[in-house]
Amino acid sequence: MSPHPGWVASLLLAVVLLPLLSVAWLALESLNNPTAWWALWTAPQTVSAVALTLWTGLASTTLAWWISGWLLAQGFIRHRLAGMTRVLPAMLATPHAALAIGLLFLVAPSGWVLRAISPWLTGFEFPPPWPTTQDPWGLGLIAALVLKEVPFLLWTAATQLHRDDVRRRWQAEFSLAETLGYAPDRAWWLVVWPQLAPRLWWPLMAVLAYGLTVVDMALVIGPASPPTLAVLAWQWLQDADLAANAQGAAAGGLLALLVLVTGLGWRTLMWASWRPLDGRRGRVPTRHTDDRTGRAGGVWAWRAILLIYGAIVLALAVGSVSGVWPFPAMLPEVWTLQAWITVWSSASTVTDTLLLAIGSTLLSLLWAVAWLELVPRRWDSALRPLLYLPLVLPGVLWVVGLYGLVLWLRWEGQWAGMLLAHTSLVLPYVLLALSPAYLGFDPRYRHLAESLGRSRWDFLWRIKWPLLRHALAASVAVGFAVSVAQFLPTLYVGAGRWNTVTTEAVTLAAGAQRSLTGAYAWLQFVLPVLGFALAAWVGRPRRFTVPST
Amino acid sequence: MTELSSIHRRQALTWMAASASVLSWPLTVFAQSRPWADTLAAARGQTVYFNAWAGSDRTNAYLQWVASEVQTAFGVKLEHVKITDTADVVKRVRSEKNAGRQAREGTVDLVWINGENFAAMKADGLLLAPWAEQLPNFAKVDTVGKPTTRNDFSVATDGQESPWGMAQFTFFADSQRLPAPPQSMKELLALAKRQPGRITYPRLPDFTGTTFVKQALIDTVADPSVLTRPPVPAELERVTAPLWRFLDELHPHLWRSGRQFPQSPAAIRQMVADGELLLGMTFNPNEAANEIAARRLPASVKSWQFARGTIGNTHFVAIPYNARSPEGAQVVANFLLSARAQARKADITVWGDPTVLDLTRLSPQERAEFPVQALPGQVATPAPTLPEPHATWVDPVEKEWVRRYGR
Repeated sequence: MSPHPGWVASLLLAVVLLPLLSVAWLALESLNNPTAWWALWTAPQTVSAVALTLWTGLASTTLAWWISGWLLAQGFIRHRLAGMTRVLPAMLATPHAALAIGLLFLVAPSGWVLRAISPWLTGFEFPPPWPTTQDPWGLGLIAALVLKEVPFLLWTAATQLHRDDVRRRWQAEFSLAETLGYAPDRAWWLVVWPQLAPRLWWPLMAVLAYGLTVVDMALVIGPASPPTLAVLAWQWLQDADLAANAQGAAAGGLLALLVLVTGLGWRTLMWASWRPLDGRRGRVPTRHTDDRTGRAGGVWAWRAILLIYGAIVLALAVGSVSGVWPFPAMLPEVWTLQAWITVWSSASTVTDTLLLAIGSTLLSLLWAVAWLELVPRRWDSALRPLLYLPLVLPGVLWVVGLYGLVLWLRWEGQWAGMLLAHTSLVLPYVLLALSPAYLGFDPRYRHLAESLGRSRWDFLWRIKWPLLRHALAASVAVGFAVSVAQFLPTLYVGAGRWNTVTTEAVTLAAGAQRSLTGAYAWLQFVLPVLGFALAAWVGRPRRFTVPST
Repeated sequence: MTELSSIHRRQALTWMAASASVLSWPLTVFAQSRPWADTLAAARGQTVYFNAWAGSDRTNAYLQWVASEVQTAFGVKLEHVKITDTADVVKRVRSEKNAGRQAREGTVDLVWINGENFAAMKADGLLLAPWAEQLPNFAKVDTVGKPTTRNDFSVATDGQESPWGMAQFTFFADSQRLPAPPQSMKELLALAKRQPGRITYPRLPDFTGTTFVKQALIDTVADPSVLTRPPVPAELERVTAPLWRFLDELHPHLWRSGRQFPQSPAAIRQMVADGELLLGMTFNPNEAANEIAARRLPASVKSWQFARGTIGNTHFVAIPYNARSPEGAQVVANFLLSARAQARKADITVWGDPTVLDLTRLSPQERAEFPVQALPGQVATPAPTLPEPHATWVDPVEKEWVRRYGR
């Protein structure tokens, strides 16, 4: 496939693999500390934190999986998938932390939901003493995770369903099942879903791993005493005491184990619950019930999710300009731009966010394109698991290794260190987003170009990359969003010298006034969305106009 | 008598520092013996990374003003490194020392610090040799009237940190909802029983939360004099037993039945503003006043301290041993002590942090810069300042609190 796989490929490999493996090695090495494991085992909060982690991670993943399956069923049966997927990029771009903060603004005892029904319905003159923020059962965290992960699962499913060959085959099989008398819902669950679900296995594992190991979201909306294991690990890593740091690294190791075990458990359950066509055809809905309930259910559920996203964005925007805002009032008594003036006066936060995101994304894109273009396919498939390592290891563990490497390079708190930290996490996502389109590029174009005597560069610049413009732009947007949303590495490797809108939003959400938190969370939401919008504009299909004569 | 002993002390310090400088590394030498003009010259062009807690945008805005002032006046570039917990900085400097970083190889030039964090850095030799009391502006500090400017949580500062501002534990509440504020921990408990779920304090190890517990310790301990010395492990349980009895009785009546605590005093302040909580607490006596000025709290909010007094202390700035710009850091510390900077800091509309200076030692012009009239939300009748327990009490009390209530 490639003319000179040898040294270029090795160089590309070395550039990424050396730091990657040293980070992984340093992270795993920190686990080789029996004292720390013993301290973790005997720490009073460990057991309850593990229980909470398993509960929130598994509950949110199960719910997100089930809701996504159901929405897909509704969308597939009623041919509404295209409409649903249109708004997905904006939802995908919403950073986890901004979503959690916005959700908090809605459901807090003094949040919009209760303000809307007080005092006329509830009789509350003051916010009720209800534990709706950082609730001890982790329900808020579960809700926030589900809200964030359903669009992700829908999107990955949609990329499968968008492939013409696949969609046509499944549509035909689905119709066949219907003609055999299966109700549309059962036909979906028995014919299409069992073929789609295995293809969503890795995205699902990403969702599960994220749910179990998330820190920023859990800091904002998750239970506080005890917190989840990931938050506990993060607190220990932040501690002034070195023994507590080692204990934090061990907790990161335990998290990795939890991900592995629950992943395997899920897989076993999935196999065990396999159902073949069993002849139970279900109730075929009449036209009447189909229109009134079935379609309405799916559409309304989807609209509810859209409504919550909209309300979150609005709550962040209003919160950012609020001054005194006594309880049952729907809108602030005093409006003030103070928070935005503060944001403006520390403009370096926004420029640092942008520069880091652009720098790490461009580096990742350059590398990913070079890799996909120059490296033999079998190298690629053999090394993929290694390249995805940063996605698999829990964030708290990864930053331990990153910090070790950066300290060794004397890059702590430096621009280079930040770029390394961000790139290590952006690169896998860019590769993930770019690969399907890049590898699926029709090789006949190249043969054609070569037969016309065009050079390789000519072919790349004038044919391949322009045709892949959409995929390239989309992967840039993904990388940009990933970098903007980074919390742990920015804080840990940046030696606190680097503030991004995300570190500001998450730090402030734990305390300070609503307005500034709202402003930063809103910015955190808006930057990636702008990135996606820009990508969509750059990657828009070319329209050829026929000049009118 | 105090004057005299302090002079003796200072001489002893200078002598110790001088002898140390002969023996130890060269940085000590110039930190001690170079005249101020040399420090100013060396500082020009340096960048100072000031690691300072950034939970309040007023503090952040004040530091931006400081940055522009020292840039124009001394050519020092001040970068505010925003942190959430000073313990992180202690940890960072310690890891740098463990990684073998030498003088002028660190990431921190100046740190906002006091209490157990200072005690830890001092004990581990993570600080620059004595420099603070040689600063020109140190002469105006009220070391007599405000003894905590040289005595940080019962640990002698020994010139390793420079005083910056004063703090006293203060409560605030909307006077329309709470016309008769509690004047002691006992009254607070009674109030919590009357209105359950409307009072709380920040989760330890937040320093305001820790101070609330220390205030309760002072109010409940049989003999307060034991708190000025490091705790004796064998007696710790006996001495703190009344504290835990008090908290055990209080917690069921707190917000969320005391099973959960907010992460910061700012979170409590927001909940007071929303009406979810009855009262908030702060280490800055003027906080409610400047929140009213910023129109984030209603004007009916009032501040008060317990009638018998509340814990007060001084906060400082210190320079780590491996600062890259120790001269620049000293120039900034000296500027922070200037009448102009202290007066601006004391201004309610800017920050409202009480000064460490002795106003009688200032020129009339300098004195005129300090605000005089009382504003809505300020403490009407200031209560006595109670000294902090010795810094070494913090760790065992925090650990025990987490063990008991942190699950």
